Amino acid sequence: MTTESMQEHWEQLMTVAMLGTDRRNPPTPPGPLADLVADTARSSASERMLAQVAACTAVRRAGVVPGPVLDEIAMPDTDARPTCIPAAIERWHYITESWPILEDEWTLTLISNGWRIAPELLPAMLLRHRSDAIRRTRVMVGAGDAGRWLVGHLPDLEPRHSAVSVTPEALHSLPKLPIAPELAEMLDWPGAKVGTMLAQSIQTGSLGHSHKPMLVNLVARIHQEALTNLVDVLTGIDPMATGHGLATVLVDLASTRQRMLSELMR
Amino acid sequence: MSAAWSVEQVASVAPSASAMSAAQPLATPSRWSQLGVAGTSVWGSFQGSGTEPYDTIADHSRLGFSCSCLSRQTPCKHALALLLLWVRGQVADTVTPSHVEAWLQRRRAASSRAMAAADNEAGEPSGGGSAPGKPDATDGSSATVDGAVIVDEQPPPAPPPDRDATRNDRVVRMHAGLAELDRWLDDRIRTGLADSSLARYATWDQLAARLVDAQAGSLANRVRRLAGLVGASTNWHDDVLAELGILHLLAQAGRRIEVLPSSLADAVATTVGWQVRQADVIAGVPDTDEWMIAGRSDVREDRIEVRRHWLRGVNSGRWALALSFAAYQQSLDTSLPVGSSLHADLHRYPGPALRALVGTRYHDPAIHPNVAAQFAASACSIADGCAEVGVLLASEPWLDRVPVTVHARLARTGRAWALADHTGSMPILAPDTRAFDAGVAMLLAVSEGKPVDLTVEWTPHGVIPLSIHLPDRTVDVGPRANTTFVSAA
Repeated sequence: MTTESMQEHWEQLMTVAMLGTDRRNPPTPPGPLADLVADTARSSASERMLAQVAACTAVRRAGVVPGPVLDEIAMPDTDARPTCIPAAIERWHYITESWPILEDEWTLTLISNGWRIAPELLPAMLLRHRSDAIRRTRVMVGAGDAGRWLVGHLPDLEPRHSAVSVTPEALHSLPKLPIAPELAEMLDWPGAKVGTMLAQSIQTGSLGHSHKPMLVNLVARIHQEALTNLVDVLTGIDPMATGHGLATVLVDLASTRQRMLSELMR
Repeated sequence: MSAAWSVEQVASVAPSASAMSAAQPLATPSRWSQLGVAGTSVWGSFQGSGTEPYDTIADHSRLGFSCSCLSRQTPCKHALALLLLWVRGQVADTVTPSHVEAWLQRRRAASSRAMAAADNEAGEPSGGGSAPGKPDATDGSSATVDGAVIVDEQPPPAPPPDRDATRNDRVVRMHAGLAELDRWLDDRIRTGLADSSLARYATWDQLAARLVDAQAGSLANRVRRLAGLVGASTNWHDDVLAELGILHLLAQAGRRIEVLPSSLADAVATTVGWQVRQADVIAGVPDTDEWMIAGRSDVREDRIEVRRHWLRGVNSGRWALALSFAAYQQSLDTSLPVGSSLHADLHRYPGPALRALVGTRYHDPAIHPNVAAQFAASACSIADGCAEVGVLLASEPWLDRVPVTVHARLARTGRAWALADHTGSMPILAPDTRAFDAGVAMLLAVSEGKPVDLTVEWTPHGVIPLSIHLPDRTVDVGPRANTTFVSAA
């Protein structure tokens, strides 16, 4: 019994199944299938039909065969840049979940340090920035030809709006974050000094949870060299002190940023 | 209010897994009124199919249940559903109503009597058993668990049935359920697939509910999945007919289980829904190997998220399936990271089943440098992959997911995607028409159109990519549970 004759018989069974055996009798099973379903106990047309459907399904599934050979799809141009390391991939996932404020810096550092976006991040990044022309353009730059190629195959990844021109300045610079003037001057201070000042202010209560957005912006933009000292000082805050929770949050942000930048170093 | 239990604790007091399954859909606040919790008691009125609601009370500290339904099981599904609502924090603290207070007082009185009787009995010479007329901890109206007295208002106070009688009762119920399933299939075939009743979910749901009652829970799940096929694709009639055929096969095999070869009988029993205790599985001979964790897929079945981990023995080359389950806000198993390997004992379920429990772990799952080479060595061509799937399906035609690792590239057939090589192709299962196909997107991005080693799940409707094995890492691309429903890192 060939695959073709089995398919032909299945189509006959389908026709009867659509109409029901009250209206049409089941077909005569071909070849070995006739022996398989032969059973004098099966008196009604519906019982004989069910036996045939069961046997035919079992045979078709066990006899699963490959479909036709298909043409290869065109590949994207090769990209000489190395893909970012697995730790950077994990960091991107963490950042987008916990500290999205760092994502712009992650992408820009990756591009400027000559990395290529890991392919497994591409679908998520393109989906995430379908409506944001600047960030999407950065992703396409970081992805190289693979980004264009992927979008060409998957319309779901196309941008939501028609092409918007993005200036090189917008593309390559971090967005400005609002930081209060008295905090903004700390951007150029050494890490230990910033840390000590913040720790004192947090412990005395002059900086509290209401200042968290500003402090987050400050830590997200402070010099990379200052991060280590900042983490050390803030980690030393007494767990029982007021503001320890806020300090813990800032430590997590600072250490995440520190690790992110170190993973994207070349 | 004392600390709420976990769902597992609720399951542990259920008289059977099917009772727990039956309770899950009832644990919906909209079906309850006068819900409340105070101290150790939880109560509420469940609006069932009758005109009068069932008044249900549970004492979660001293384990006791009361329900005005007619169920002979204790706790009944309503009591279990009430506990589930409480576990989920959906029962508010309030003042104990009079009927609950009266029930608690009766329990306290019965408990005092039982303790007094136990004290008296302790003073008597051993070997005498309980004296006539005295309350007995095993008389069905009162029992002890971990020192706590359980008082059960549920009639009847019959002695607990022995194991064989329980088993025989289950077999009878299962046979009756399978006979009913076959009659139902017969009706569908007589009236035809064009019959409009097939499009009504109730048509399938009622059958599934009866199969649950008949202890054929797995078949009930299968029927519910089948309901989802109706109208799901242009050739859904084809898919539904094939699945009706498989149900008929299982119904027939299940009714003749006594005359089947033991291995096949075990496979049929497990597929129909015969519960096997985990302790019995663990007690079996272990299959010890270095297990590559080849792929993972999550799928929602009714109100439970099911996670499948596919493991492959480095030495035996045999596949095994480790399942984990999570209800709302529970966690799925995250201890088997895809792409790692694990030296462990697996204990297989009876028969030729792929399903196994992970027993002793000789080390934590780790990503060894040679894992990639092992995945590459196990990958085969599309034609060989079809043959591998066919061998498993020849012995168990009802399997609806079979793992296989192939070396293939992505290709297109019109708008659909397929895996292909020089020996042929396998269609990739298309997701819901509105859904973004994250698996294909990842496969496309990672492979860039080049051939890669990947593990897929074969299904009758197409393969599902689970993982891509690259020389330096494995990328998990399998369907992932919705994290708003369960925790599924």
